[in-house]
Amino acid sequence: MLDAFVSGFWQVVAWPAFGYLLIGIAIGFFVGLLPGLGGLATLALMLPFSYTIKQPVEAFCFLLGMLAVTGTTGDITSILFGIPGEGSSAALILDGYPMSKKGEAGRALGAAIMSSVVGATIGALSLAISIPIMRPLVLLFGSPELFIIAIMGISFIGTLAGSSLIKGLLAGGIGLMLAAIGVDPQTGAIRYTFGFLYLWDRLDIIPVTVGLFAIPEIVDLAVRGTSIAEKRAEKLTGVMEGVKDTFRHFWLVMRCSLIGVYFGVLPVLGANVAQWMAYGHAVQGLKDRNLAGKGAVEGVLGPGSANNSTRGGDLIPTVAFGIPGSGSMALLLGALLIVGLQPGPEMLKSRLDVTFAMVWILIIANLIVAALCFLILNQLAALTFIRGGLLIPFLLLLVFIGSFTANNSLNDLMVTLIFGLIGYYMVLQGWPRPPLILGLILGKIAENYLWISTAAYGAKWLLFPSVIFLILLTVVVVAYPTIKERRGRARYERPEGAI
Amino acid sequence: MFKKFKASKVQGLLASRLTPHAFFILLSLYPFNPLTVTSVFAQAPFYQGKTITIIVGTKAGDVYDLYARAIALFMPKHIPGNPNFIVQNMTGAGSLIAANHVYNLGKPDGLTLGAIFPALYFDQLTGRKEVKFDWTKFAWIGSPTVSNHFIYMRADTPYNTIDDVRNAKEPPKCGSTGTASTGYYMPKLFEEVIGTKFNIVTGYQSGGDIDLAVERGEIVCRSFTITAYHAREPFHTWRKKGFVRELVQTGKKRDPRLPNVPTIYELMEKYKTPEAARRLATVILAAGDVGRPYVVPPGVPADRVKILREAFTKTMNDPDFKGEAEKRKLELNPISGEELEGLAKEVIAQPPEIVERMKKVLGK
Repeated sequence: MLDAFVSGFWQVVAWPAFGYLLIGIAIGFFVGLLPGLGGLATLALMLPFSYTIKQPVEAFCFLLGMLAVTGTTGDITSILFGIPGEGSSAALILDGYPMSKKGEAGRALGAAIMSSVVGATIGALSLAISIPIMRPLVLLFGSPELFIIAIMGISFIGTLAGSSLIKGLLAGGIGLMLAAIGVDPQTGAIRYTFGFLYLWDRLDIIPVTVGLFAIPEIVDLAVRGTSIAEKRAEKLTGVMEGVKDTFRHFWLVMRCSLIGVYFGVLPVLGANVAQWMAYGHAVQGLKDRNLAGKGAVEGVLGPGSANNSTRGGDLIPTVAFGIPGSGSMALLLGALLIVGLQPGPEMLKSRLDVTFAMVWILIIANLIVAALCFLILNQLAALTFIRGGLLIPFLLLLVFIGSFTANNSLNDLMVTLIFGLIGYYMVLQGWPRPPLILGLILGKIAENYLWISTAAYGAKWLLFPSVIFLILLTVVVVAYPTIKERRGRARYERPEGAI
Repeated sequence: MFKKFKASKVQGLLASRLTPHAFFILLSLYPFNPLTVTSVFAQAPFYQGKTITIIVGTKAGDVYDLYARAIALFMPKHIPGNPNFIVQNMTGAGSLIAANHVYNLGKPDGLTLGAIFPALYFDQLTGRKEVKFDWTKFAWIGSPTVSNHFIYMRADTPYNTIDDVRNAKEPPKCGSTGTASTGYYMPKLFEEVIGTKFNIVTGYQSGGDIDLAVERGEIVCRSFTITAYHAREPFHTWRKKGFVRELVQTGKKRDPRLPNVPTIYELMEKYKTPEAARRLATVILAAGDVGRPYVVPPGVPADRVKILREAFTKTMNDPDFKGEAEKRKLELNPISGEELEGLAKEVIAQPPEIVERMKKVLGK
């Protein structure tokens, strides 16, 4: 096993594999930065180029290297401009963008990049460690468990609601309703499509996220007539401050990385859900909950680490069963087949070194991109001091190209505009936007797995020990902040009462 | 009376003037007639310097897309004039958006090809109002492969043969993504024509999701393509370990890779399926023979359809293309445009009672 671990490392740093890795990183770097254009679409487009590569590790250096860094650089766009660079980076907007507005872009970027590196490493190591227990680990989660986990996610709406719980719950409810749009998989009924074929496949998450988060920020920037940063910082540095933040909140970063791994292993959830769970967890732990959404560095560290660690988790079902854990993994699986490798139990026996090479690719790619980012972070942060009027046309272009890549359809642009409008009014009226997105993502998952659980087990699944455990866990997660608050207050009040 | 006279006079004039000598002079001038000049002087083929767009109804990276991108690489050299090819993805509604687009908005100039799902005619037959095409009026270019289906069943269940499924007290649970998927309507069809009973659990996110659920034992069977079953994991391991067995396949002949698995046609013979049900089976299973088809909109000039069909067939027989397809794990089992055209006409001509039964199978 150790041999394979070491051999995997040398195969990744050997020539020409390392060259392919650098090319992959270079492409992934820009794909991550550009909003909308995601790792999945790019992977599909780059796949044919990998056909000419003969060695599995070399092909993987190119493809996985590219995929590994998109999550990291996607965070940068979210923080600097309030536009999600990747679908899985949207949660970084909530606290990252306010930090940029406060003139702390450097610190936020430092924190995001450093936590990304930690997250990627944890994800990769989890992949390595779990090799002997992969199969039972993946089989642990059936449809009933997935349903309860989706419910747990929905219950996080309370945490993400911000100042007004009622508005948060309503926004979450609207999200759940929007999730019902499309062809229903159980009966084939067509719901809320109003004659548009485009709506048959449900609302695509990319145009909705981009519209909801980016458009209001751009409008706001135009209305303010200033640069993104409202205050001119004393000096542009602060990147190191962000790196230090990662280690100040090291255990938070670790916990959020593990959340990412866990959601990566689950076959349908992935980074899009993990980021919100990690964000919710991070802001739950804040001493002053009112700081959430106003530029708390914890809100950057949590999703920053989680959206990177999912990559390692994603690979677990792919490697253990040859069954892809996500869309991008399905494409990677195709690449594996072309270089003559059959992922699955057989590959773990015969080519363990390839699996370890994947671990190394995840780690090395993120280290390289972090080093690269740190070289230019101060210049990037300086973008937030450019006059808004000069940035806005460029940002709008990025937003619309980004959402258009979802389905190459003009309807994507319509969706972006409509949700841009909705997002703007939500901001004006003090409605939180994350619950809507969370409801939209999880509504479909919750509905499908409730149906499947009932169709497969009747009502028996409610009595599964794992289900009961997860229900209890959900209750604890939901009740924990309230309990903590009460106990805190009680302790605080007691001396007063004594007097 | 006057008209008649005039006409006959003109005819008489022509007849008297048009001596054999003059006729040959006229004939020799014929190529310079502006109406015919293009056909003789068109040294440059139509497709030279043109760009052909293949509109694929799925996302980039999907198997339909993989075929289209491979064909786009090799087809140009088999078309006179060697046009450029580009592949454009137009996703949505199970390629219905792409089919509607190609049929209505694609110019009938032979420069727009559609790569669409083979089962879209179900929607036309069942009268879905969103269908904006007539299946029989597409001009069919060809299909690189047929896609026949089969059902696998976990080996540790009591269902050893399809007979066991017919007689089972508790029907086995099969997984599917939705009602428009073969995972749903194939088992339903078997229920209609040979009286098997399956309990179909829909809502899984993808085929991989279903296979994992089978590993967990949440469900025990799935219907999908024979090709995929032999192309990748986890199925290699499954076959080697005897984790699943194959119950029934949908081709007219047994697939060479599944020599011991009965076809649905054999079973219909065995169980004496009535004629109407057989007809239903033929209509639904025809989608498998259509495979992964390429079409052009109605109205494309016949000579261009001919050029495209010939180029498609030549591409399928091109050793370089075959080598590339082998490398990309794309199975080739091509069907010509003429055959597809015949199939399209056959499936659409259905009496109302067949359509009604079809709606039932498709969950509509």
